[in-house]
Amino acid sequence: MAYMIAFHWGWLLASLVLGFCMGWVAVVTHARALPKRWMIPLAVLAAVLVTVALTQVVPGRFGYWLDLLLLMFVPYLIGCAIGSQLRGWVVMRTAPRG
Amino acid sequence: MRGLFRWSGKWWPGVVPLVLFWAVAAWNNTAAVEADLAGKATAAVKDVVLDKVRIAADGRDIDFEAEAFSEEGRHGALIAVGAVPGVRLVDDDSRLVPEAKPFVWSAEREVAKITLSGNAPLPVVKGKLMDVARDQVKGIEIVDQMGLARGAPTNFEDAAALLIGQISKLKDGKVAISDSTVSLSGMARELGGREAIATALKGLPQGFSVAANDVRAPPYIFQANKDPVAVTLTLSGYVPDDNIHAIVLGSSSRKFFSEKVVDNLKTSVGAPPGFVNAVIPALGVLSRLSTGTLVVTDREVKISGDALYEAAAAQIRAALPKDFPREWQVTADISVKPASAPVDASVCQQLFSDLLSKTKIRFLTGRATLDSDSTGLLDHLVETALRCPNAAIEIAGHTDSEGEDAANQTLSERRAQAVLDYFVKAGLPADRFTAVGYGSTKPVASNDTDDGKAQNRRIEFLVR
Repeated sequence: MAYMIAFHWGWLLASLVLGFCMGWVAVVTHARALPKRWMIPLAVLAAVLVTVALTQVVPGRFGYWLDLLLLMFVPYLIGCAIGSQLRGWVVMRTAPRG
Repeated sequence: MRGLFRWSGKWWPGVVPLVLFWAVAAWNNTAAVEADLAGKATAAVKDVVLDKVRIAADGRDIDFEAEAFSEEGRHGALIAVGAVPGVRLVDDDSRLVPEAKPFVWSAEREVAKITLSGNAPLPVVKGKLMDVARDQVKGIEIVDQMGLARGAPTNFEDAAALLIGQISKLKDGKVAISDSTVSLSGMARELGGREAIATALKGLPQGFSVAANDVRAPPYIFQANKDPVAVTLTLSGYVPDDNIHAIVLGSSSRKFFSEKVVDNLKTSVGAPPGFVNAVIPALGVLSRLSTGTLVVTDREVKISGDALYEAAAAQIRAALPKDFPREWQVTADISVKPASAPVDASVCQQLFSDLLSKTKIRFLTGRATLDSDSTGLLDHLVETALRCPNAAIEIAGHTDSEGEDAANQTLSERRAQAVLDYFVKAGLPADRFTAVGYGSTKPVASNDTDDGKAQNRRIEFLVR
């Protein structure tokens, strides 16, 4: 893990920034939210991918690419969370009272 | 928190560029990650003794292929590769180096080329043996055809190094180890090489034994050439040591009384057994020839030349089998020198005197038995007697004054008779000769000194 972070820190930082931007925008966008019925299949997919990565059953380069994908998702999600939270505060403070 | 959960439903559009990022990152970094991990894995096993190492990375997985020299080494290498930071899995294709049974190693020399082949237990041992070979035989091509195998006997390296040292003493040949036995074959470069190798093999490490030492040596040659024109006896070739050298020279100077002995002999080990017992009688035969050559090659004696008269040639041929050690092969090509022109009695007397002025007839101390060193002289005396067939000859024996007169008288008579008998055996008519003993009554020098006594002990010829 430490090796992966050290080797790909630039891409992980980019993912974090991308996530931050996405989170910042998500608070005010009028785009449609992900339908709730997708949540469970996506969660299952995520769990399966994480399980597959942890059990190291995917060999060679495909295994490495899977690890990299999941690893880049982590800063993306963190960035989204930070971005949305900050934007949420900003929106609350600037909203007209009453 | 509820807001965060609500907002998270709208984070999905960013996944599209994220996947794009991932694709680019994977495209760019895969080869770099693989090269980095393969390099680090190779460095991790650098200090482990392995053969045929091949390390390749597939993503973060390492394909590890190698031959190890022990199970511990193989296990240690696997752990070292697996412990490299970033490596996910190790695909183990390693195995142990095959075990050789029997463990065979050899070094073969073809004059200007040495080939090391067979098995070595470790790469470092292989390298050391090559170094030893380069060091021992400089300027010669060394070819490495050694493989690696387990199962080497204890102290293999020391034994192999010792054998490489021996191959420098060979002109061509092979030294080999099979488990704990060694074998050698070929031709030694020099006389004594075979013996030097046999001595060196005593230093083989404990546990090793010599199965076969078939190293041959160049022929051990001794030559003597009697040249009647230059009046020389030229000795060349080899003698085993200084002591035998002195014996051969001493014997030559006694037997070849009129020739100058030219000594070109060298000392070398490697002489066949019984060397001196064959060379001395062979020189005795040569001394009886007017001209001739003696060649001793290993255990083979070849004598050729001209005897002084017919009976001498017959005597030489008859005596050959019993005069030489058994196991020695003797061939003699003896012809007879053409008879010299007859001379009158006075010339005959002069010839006798000339011969006896150079040396004298020797007998065993205190006895009337002719010394074999005097055979050459006796043959020359016989030849002289043959040149004056009508002359009567008195053979006079004399002694020094040591001992009783009666005993000296008897000894002088018996010694004169012994010479007469030799002449008769040579085919001369007995009635031409008279053997007379004078005891010590006719000294030619003072009997007070050893030198004078030696001069007084003599045989004289008086032609009438």
